[in-house]
This record gives sequence, structure tokens and C-alpha cells, in this order.
Amino acid sequence: MRFLALLRKELRECLPWLLLAAIILLAIGGFILRDAQLHEWYRPSPSRFPSGSIMKWYDFTIHPPLSPVGPVLLLTSIGLGLALGARQFWVPHFTRTWGFTIHRSLTRSTILCAKFTAAIIAFVISLGTVWLALYWYSSHPALFSMLPVKRVFIEGWLFILLGLVVYLGTALTGLSTARWYTSKIFGLAFAAIVIFPVILQWRLGWAFALIIISALILLSQTINAFSEREF
Amino acid sequence: MKPNNISKYIAAPSGILMTLLILLIAVLFLQGIILQTASVLTYEKHRAAKNQTDQDKDLTEEEKRFDRIRNSQKEFLHDGTIHLVHRPQRSSRHSDEPEKVQIYDANDNLLWQGFKDKIPYQYLSWSGPRPHQYHRFTHKWMKNIQMITPEFSQVLEIPITSPDKTRQIWRYHPNKDFFIGYDTAGQKIGHIGSTGFTHSKDHAKPFGKFKSFTAWTLQHSHNPILLWQTARRIYQINFEKQHVRLLFESTESDIKMAAPHMWWSFKPGTIEHEMAKNYRPTIRCLTEDGKHHLIMRNPDQTITVTPPADWWTDALQLTATKDDIFLCCRDTETRPPSRFKPYDFYLQWYRKFEGKPHKEWIELYKLDNQANLHLLNRFEWTAPPGAHPKVSAIPFRTRIQRSVAVFSTPLYDLAWYLLGREFFIKHYRDKDFFAGFARATAEIRPASSICNWLLGLAMTVFTLCHAWPRRTSWQKLTFWLVFVLAFNLAGLLTYLALNHTSLIKCPACGKRRGLTQPNCIRCGAQLPPPQPRKSDLIFN
Repeated sequence: MRFLALLRKELRECLPWLLLAAIILLAIGGFILRDAQLHEWYRPSPSRFPSGSIMKWYDFTIHPPLSPVGPVLLLTSIGLGLALGARQFWVPHFTRTWGFTIHRSLTRSTILCAKFTAAIIAFVISLGTVWLALYWYSSHPALFSMLPVKRVFIEGWLFILLGLVVYLGTALTGLSTARWYTSKIFGLAFAAIVIFPVILQWRLGWAFALIIISALILLSQTINAFSEREF
Repeated sequence: MKPNNISKYIAAPSGILMTLLILLIAVLFLQGIILQTASVLTYEKHRAAKNQTDQDKDLTEEEKRFDRIRNSQKEFLHDGTIHLVHRPQRSSRHSDEPEKVQIYDANDNLLWQGFKDKIPYQYLSWSGPRPHQYHRFTHKWMKNIQMITPEFSQVLEIPITSPDKTRQIWRYHPNKDFFIGYDTAGQKIGHIGSTGFTHSKDHAKPFGKFKSFTAWTLQHSHNPILLWQTARRIYQINFEKQHVRLLFESTESDIKMAAPHMWWSFKPGTIEHEMAKNYRPTIRCLTEDGKHHLIMRNPDQTITVTPPADWWTDALQLTATKDDIFLCCRDTETRPPSRFKPYDFYLQWYRKFEGKPHKEWIELYKLDNQANLHLLNRFEWTAPPGAHPKVSAIPFRTRIQRSVAVFSTPLYDLAWYLLGREFFIKHYRDKDFFAGFARATAEIRPASSICNWLLGLAMTVFTLCHAWPRRTSWQKLTFWLVFVLAFNLAGLLTYLALNHTSLIKCPACGKRRGLTQPNCIRCGAQLPPPQPRKSDLIFN
């Protein structure tokens, strides 16, 4: 019960960011897909292939209609990670409200667990469901003549997981007691660095492995920092 | 696991790993910026020096003749006669003006001069080394289109169109290694694999490890035909007719290179279309065992040429006219060493020929149907010393590279030796993260430099001086010393980032001590109690 009460409190605090991220992704993503459906800009024109000629290979490589949604999803996910991390681990420090959360009849691990659960729920509800809806819309044969491959759907989830890594990096930076010009910023820097090898990767398995390993590195340090820090 | 255990066993190594990665990348960035600046400066210096040399160059008539012969294009007539086609002034690539050429015979007599498009001779046409980069989709591009990127990965699709709209889409699935066809309603039509068209997915067979493809359209058609090359096979795929034809299979070794010549149809009225009338469509295929295979059409025929061991197999060319098959062989005394040799090996080879004249030659052979070689003509010339200019001192960039590499971790060298030179060179042109790592490692590895080890030792001594009063246990101290020695500058910065504790003077022994240990590491005295303050009266 205490955990659920704490979770509700965390979700209440996350709600504005959760809604904002969902609205941004839904509005921009929906507009892009509607535009793709009406104008079919993703489909190469048949006149591209003149008779009796050698063809250029890039005439055969096609981006899915969802491709302009990708940067929006990635940026929204990173933004949501930053916002939630800052809301949960930085704002209580500035407003001096850590005491209200810490000095309850709850263990620190329960408090941390409630924060993480709230963040995961926020990501799944705001970005996961909207991404699912956008993918489902683009997979409709009556609306689009080119259907996306399943791989694109998985790549979208990788972007959402990257947002969670940024969230953990922000949390670690928020909990660190070091000076900002020393190792305080390292959590966030590490999360930023992880984004590059993941999006410059062509093997999905390796990308997932990179995200899991980096998330574990950040998670273990966040738990340690939260358990040992004096508030 | 309890949070305390996590903090004990996982968090500390995670923190070290994270900090080390960040600082390794930071050091790498700095090294990269310095190297790029050095590259720009070297290029400017090189260009200025080259301009100066060109101005100072004053060749004698004999040297000019040697230079002209060397730079002339060596062309063969169908009867084997050689002509030297010289371009006195190379026009700009974007110039519309036709280029002027001079044609000499083997005895250096001028036969003809005029514009290039008016040449009165018909020379043998050879398959180029490879189709143009825009026409050849390689396995590296296949990886690139699968890269996740912020805009998601791309797919390879072959459209089948009627004049005004797309009728079918054939999508390549890299994991399954065959094509799946869809109609405009998104319904599956069938599958195209190595065994041809099938309706059932279970009967579709993969093509094999993809290497490259080239696509073209026939006359009066807008639908592409693919020449699909795998590690051991070459297929021709016609999607409109849903037909797959195996053109060549190498049973003994992998295909190194495949170069088509007149294989596709050209638009009527073009030079290529006129030229194609005299030739049989061919694909020259070089396999890893050094054999050349010539796949011919009209009629279908394949011959295999096994060149003598001392020939330069990479410089061979083959062609088939309507009547004969020809082989052209170029060679030089200064044949470059094979790939994947150490840099010093190349430098040694270069220094052997720098500033010296050397022999080069070209030979034309006619082949019979059993691939026996009959020499038709041979032309030999002496290349002037300028072809291999003297190497001055070590280039500026290389000196900077060596200086910058002093700050790298010796573990890059370990990766270099374990994975091998071939691994790094093969991955050099890829664009994914590991290719980037391979490039960076190759550029800034210390190459077992003594300076690198000396700097590492100096940093270890500094770490010892810094850690001695702060030490909490011998194991930790030893770990950090080994760590700094192994990771050089990044290791030292990691140590400093994670061990920045203040020092105080021990009130008992008067020596400096860290604050992470309650007892003084030297005398064992405890930390002194804080000075009494006025507020203590309230709290106590």
C-alpha cells in the first residue's frame, strides 16, 4: 500500500511530462504520416528507371513512410528521460523536499523502486503506446502502398529504451555529490555517448546488448548513490 | 541481492568502467582533433611544395619523351598493333570542349592528332576494373542501409512498373537472404531465391553471402534486371519474368572481383551501343586462388585462365570480340607489395625505387577456346625517375601522429595484434561504430613505442606519489598503479576523477593523510574530534 501510494505520487509528478511527450509525438508523427499517405513521397516514381540504361543503386534503397517520425521519437524520448530524471532527482534537491520522501517508514530501495517504476510506466504509456499506434496506422495496406518492416517497429523501441538510459544518466548526475566540473556530469555524458554506438549499429542484437549493459552500469551506480548519500 | 551488496560488488567497477570509457573517448577526441589539424597543415605544405617543384622542373627532350611514353594510354588494335594515345593538355573534367590527343606508334612516330572523339582507329575495349560506384551496390552498402540511424533502417526494393504505375514490389530480406514479392494491395506474390521463383516460403532458398549487385534495364523496358554476386556465385535475376539464372559458380574459392563488359543493353545511338555490336557480352571474374574466369554470352561459354605464378594477376584484363578472345597483361619492376603488409614494408619498397628509372611493359595475348595463351605483341618502356619521387623526411602528419599516439593506451596495440592487420583494413571503410573504433585504433595506437611506456611509467610514479598518503589498502593501491600503466593518460584521469580526496596533516605523526580512512595509514591515530562550537551546547 505504501509503495502504491508512493508510486501514485511519483506518477502524479511525472504526469505533465508524460502528457507533453505523448502529445508532441502524436501530433508531429500523425501529421507526417497523414502527409505521407496523401502525397506518397516515399514511393519512387516509375520514370526513375529509363529503358536501356545501367541504374544507380540508390534508386532501390527506400526509407519507410515512418522515417521522419524517427528523429521525433528519438528526441522526445531523450527529452522525456531528461525531464523525468531532473523531476525525480534534481528538483527535490533544489526545493529541499528530499526529507519529505526519505523520512518515511519505507526503505530507500522501495522509494527508488517507486521512482523507477513510475518512469518506466511513463515511457511505456506516453511513447510506447503512441509509437504502437503510429506503426499500426502505417501498416494499413488500404492507406499506404508500402508497408513498414517489423524491424522498424523494434528500432522505435530501441529509441524509447535510449530515453530510459538518459533517464538513468540524469538520475545518477542528480544524485552525485561531486562538483559539476569534476565527475558529476559523467552519468549524463555516458548516457549521451551510448546513443551513438546504438544508432550507428546495424545489428539489432548488439544494439539491445549495448543498451542493457549501459543501463546496468548506470542503474547499479544510481542505486549505490541513493543508498549511501546523505540527504 | 540487497542494495548494499550491489554497491559493494557492482557499483564500484561500473563507476570505474563508465569513467574510463568517457575519458578514453575524450582523449580520443583530442587526439583526433590534433591529427586532423596536422592533416590539413600537411596537405597545404605538400601542395605548396608540389607547386614549387613543378615550377622548378626543367626536363630535357629525352626526359620529356620518356615522360610522354609513360603517361600515354597504351591501346591495341584488333590485329594486336599497339598505339600510344597521348593527351598533351588534360582538359578539365567539366569542360565541354573535346580533348585533343596525339597518337604515336611503338617506334614513337606520330600517326595522327586531333580531337578525341574523331580518332580514326578502333581499339580493343576492356572491362573496367569494376562498374562505377553509383552502379554497384556492395555488401558495405547493404550493411549501411540496415544501420539503425535516427531515420530508421532502409530496405532494398525492386519495383516492377507499367508505364504509369508500380505493379509489384520485390523486397530483399537480409536475414532470410531472398526476395519477397508484394502486389499493390500489400499481398504476397511469392519468393525469389537461389532456386528461382516459388510461392511457398519453405521452398525459397537463400542466395548465399551477399557481395554486390548491379542493375540495368533492357531496351523498351523500365524494369530492372539484377546481376547478383555472392561469395561463390553470380546470378542474373529478372523480376518481371520471375526468373533466376545461375551464371557462374566457383567451387574452389571465393570470388574476389567480377567486372561485366557489354553485358547490358545500351540505348541505340550511343557510342556504347555501336561498340557493343563488335563484342560478346562478358563478365571477367577473378577468384581468390588467382584464376580468371571469362563468362561469355552469344553463345554461352566460360573459360578459365590460370596465369603463370609470376604474373601480376590484379592487372590482367580480358575481352571477347565476335571472333577472338584477348588478354592484356601489364606489369612493372616496381610492382607494389600485396595488401595487409606493415607500413615499414611499403616504405622499404618505396625507398628501393625512389629517384630511379625502372622498366614497365604491356603484353597482348590471344586465347583459344582451351584458354591457351598466344603472345601477339609486347611493348616495353622505361619510366623516368620522377614516377617515384624521393621521399624526404618523415611527413609532418606522421610525426604528429607518433607524438599523439604516445598518450594512447598500450591496449590498442594488444587489440591490433589479436585481431590482426587484415581485420582493421577490411573494416576501414565501414561506417558503423566498430569500424570507427577500428579506424581510431589503427590511427592512434602507440605501436609499442618506448616513449609511450616511459610516459606510462611517469604517470604511474605520479599516481604512486598521489595515492601514497590517501591509500586505504594495498590491493587498491596496486590496482590503481596497474590501471594507470595499462590505460596511460585516460587511466590517470580516471584515477584522479575517482580519488579526489582532500589531505590533512595528521595531528599525531605530523604527516599527510587522506580522509577516506578513519585511522592514519602511518601511525594508526584516529581522526581528531571537531573543534567545539557554541551550538554544541544546544545539541548536546
